[in-house]
Amino acid sequence: MSNATANPYRIYRVTWIILLIITVAMLAAEAFHLPRIFLIVFLLAFMMVKATMIGGNFMHLRYEKPSLALMVAAGILVTSLILYSFISREFRYIAERLSQ
Amino acid sequence: MQAEAAAHVPALEAHWGGGAAPFGATWQKTMMWIFIVTDGLLFSGLLSGYGFLRHVSPVPWPRQSEVFSIPFIALMTFILITSSMTMGTAVTAARLGDRKRALNNLVFTIVGGLCFLGCQAYEWSHLIHEGARLTGNPWGPPQFTQAFFVLTGFHGSHVFSGLVILIITAIRTSMGKTPAQGIEMAGLYWHFVDLVWVFIFTLFYLL
Repeated sequence: MSNATANPYRIYRVTWIILLIITVAMLAAEAFHLPRIFLIVFLLAFMMVKATMIGGNFMHLRYEKPSLALMVAAGILVTSLILYSFISREFRYIAERLSQ
Repeated sequence: MQAEAAAHVPALEAHWGGGAAPFGATWQKTMMWIFIVTDGLLFSGLLSGYGFLRHVSPVPWPRQSEVFSIPFIALMTFILITSSMTMGTAVTAARLGDRKRALNNLVFTIVGGLCFLGCQAYEWSHLIHEGARLTGNPWGPPQFTQAFFVLTGFHGSHVFSGLVILIITAIRTSMGKTPAQGIEMAGLYWHFVDLVWVFIFTLFYLL
């Protein structure tokens, strides 16, 4: 018998504890004034881990068909890339205007 | 190659030609996920806009720990993560037919949501008292408070609407009128609110 069958609520408690530990680690990284580039990489990596845990364990995406998870991931990824490219072009334009 | 492609057509039609569930989920759940993705795109746009404003700001961006009480924001994060845990428990309890446990955890989630909104109201009133406005603030560029009010305001409105949904779901559950799937849909929305906060907490308050 798997743990999930023995106690179906365990996954939520374990996820909750891991999320809290990650949050404390993120706060500590901010408080200890890590070099900026390390801080950015560290915080973004942990942010993605937290988002994946919430999506996978709390929202049950890990138990859904891969096609559903793919739809969610592709929708967010593609639009984020479009937004990023739009904003970076805009940013370049405005930065050029400001430097003139 | 063509024969292989032709063999795929009946399989595709069987899945996507109608009358089937290609995502292996009910239409309610599929529509909820599509709604969540589109709502996620709204926040994606808002966060991108915030990043843009921050990058082009000619005035240095203020250090967040000098404006906000980071331990207080951490408390808000703790409350929201905990409410997500109780929501997950409520969904599973409902699926297992344990109505009492589902209702108790729904109530815990509602209390958590109310605490979070109370904290946010306190944070807003505190900052407004210190001079934070949409048009300016004492800490630097006006875009800083614009981004703050828009991001946390939109998120807070989602928490509020989530609370309304949860309260209705809890009342209906107490009367035995909400099926397990109803609680699951409410739960998906609540977890989404938690998910968005993860991004706001990192990108706005910490970075």
